[in-house]
Amino acid sequence: MKSEILYPGAFPMVRVEFGEGEHIKAESGAMVACSPTIDIESKMEGGFLGALSRKFLTGEKFFFQTLRASRGAGEALLAPTVPGEIVVLELDGVNEYMVQKDGFLAGADGIAIDSQMQSMSRGLLGGEGFFILKMSGKGMLVLNSFGAIHKIELKPSQEYIVDNSHLVAWSTTTSYNIEKATSGWVASFTSGEGFVCRFRGPGVVYIQSRNPRGFGSWVRQFLPASE
Amino acid sequence: MVDTAPNALCFGDGFPATGVPCVVHVEGHGLTMAFLHNVHGTENGSDSVPFSDMTVSAGGLDHDQLVVKWNSPTEQRTLYLKNPDLIRAFRQAAPSHLSSPLERAAEQVRQVRKRHRLVWGVVGGSLLALVLGLWFGSDLLVELAVDRIPIEWEQKLGESAYRDFLGGQEVMEEGPVVAAVEEMTRRLANQIPDNPYRFDVTVVKSDVVNAFALPGGSVVVFTGMMKKAERPEEVAGVLAHELNHVLQRHGLERIVKQLGFVAVASIIFGNQQGLGQMMKQLGVELMTLKFGRAQETEADLTGLQLLYRAKIDPSGMITFFERLAEKDEGRVELLSTHPMSSSRAEQLKAELAAMPTVTPEPFVFEWDKIRTSLGVSTSTGS
Ligand SMILES: [Zn+2]
Repeated sequence: MKSEILYPGAFPMVRVEFGEGEHIKAESGAMVACSPTIDIESKMEGGFLGALSRKFLTGEKFFFQTLRASRGAGEALLAPTVPGEIVVLELDGVNEYMVQKDGFLAGADGIAIDSQMQSMSRGLLGGEGFFILKMSGKGMLVLNSFGAIHKIELKPSQEYIVDNSHLVAWSTTTSYNIEKATSGWVASFTSGEGFVCRFRGPGVVYIQSRNPRGFGSWVRQFLPASE
Repeated sequence: MVDTAPNALCFGDGFPATGVPCVVHVEGHGLTMAFLHNVHGTENGSDSVPFSDMTVSAGGLDHDQLVVKWNSPTEQRTLYLKNPDLIRAFRQAAPSHLSSPLERAAEQVRQVRKRHRLVWGVVGGSLLALVLGLWFGSDLLVELAVDRIPIEWEQKLGESAYRDFLGGQEVMEEGPVVAAVEEMTRRLANQIPDNPYRFDVTVVKSDVVNAFALPGGSVVVFTGMMKKAERPEEVAGVLAHELNHVLQRHGLERIVKQLGFVAVASIIFGNQQGLGQMMKQLGVELMTLKFGRAQETEADLTGLQLLYRAKIDPSGMITFFERLAEKDEGRVELLSTHPMSSSRAEQLKAELAAMPTVTPEPFVFEWDKIRTSLGVSTSTGS
């Protein structure tokens, strides 16, 4: 299996080349185009209840798509919904990543995707909701962001502070605490912003250069108020 | 290079930030590690650390990884282990000077997990209790909430529903029919001590057999229902029942119960749109006001007592519902919101039998004239 990012920048696609019999899991709706040899199956990962609870609790799509080159080699083009960069990671079996729910675009079959419950404080204040995706296993993992993706590399004990709404993915060897960015708890709670994550290495943190929530409220001011 | 699958990540200043995958073995003297790639500062892609040189702690995102640190000749190295078998082997082989930090690390992991479970258990449990409580009629909670809602809010709520309803209706402004309904309402309302509500009666020209009272005290009577009534006491019976829905704030209870559930559900599932949608839906439901069975029983019983105090023959309420149920014809909406089950009839009759007999005081209006003005032939008389 090979992958290539087309049109890098704000509106990229990723081309995945399949050998016969190979398959990947993709976010439902990610498939843009594909060879006639590729079959698309919508599968409920973790059974009906698993999918249902994932839908309610993470707001994630009900289905993953499975793209399978069952009738010979071929290729597929995948793209995310939002404008932003795509990055391809190669998981080696020991490195694991936590991915916020909008960050997953596709993963090779060797990648295991688990919905994980966060601790209460991280779930409440972290901005990614109570469930995030844990990616482990071996193979290609494709992430997408809102805006550009920036990689922060942390040496052991090295710290870095990230606004929680800019998080895309982080390795599980890092740890983080939620901290309040501004003084005054009232402002933090009422605006839902003002919380940051203090990450501590070793490991890698991927962040996005735009904040989807910030963008949403910016757009909203131009929409006519609904009654 | 090694052919076994890596089971740990090694970090150091010269290493990439994602760490270098390696295969760790626990030996008698310490750890050996074989790197998948040749990295600088290691000999032949492998390295070893004696137990005497290392310190251990818990680390990683969930504090569930074993972190081993030591100083290599060139720099500090850190190893992250999360394979449970490997960690067990390490704990068994580790000498005494590492056992207390190991115990501390293990204790830390247990504490984190325990706290995790406890917090989620408490929060999950209380959310569940709240949802179940609101949904499966812990009416106490609902009543507590309803008690805190001022009458003025209730009136505003009722008024807006009332205006929406009147939009498509033809109202009978005055005349003997309106005067009769007002007289009945006044007779009943006078018997309610400390009544905070002002009952406004509206008569709607419509063949639909219905009458309802909105939260706050707006009472709507359809001429269709008046035509079906053979005696004024039957209309008064329905009015007494409806007024008691208002007095017991049944409409408000329904709204709070449903809103409460939706509010909790939308907090859990993070769906704020659901709340707005539900508010709209409730506005519609105010019109049809389907009450719970317990509320209907309450309105029936308190309605009978109110009729009794107002010296109006209470049997009218029972005979009217029974007759409507018997010959189900036309649009009898009153029955769809108030089905006359046999248990309801029996309960009403038993209650009536237990009441001391009352000498009814007649109404001022003449029912025959009302019937005539409604276009009903009165030849069947009395
Ligand atoms: Zn009723």
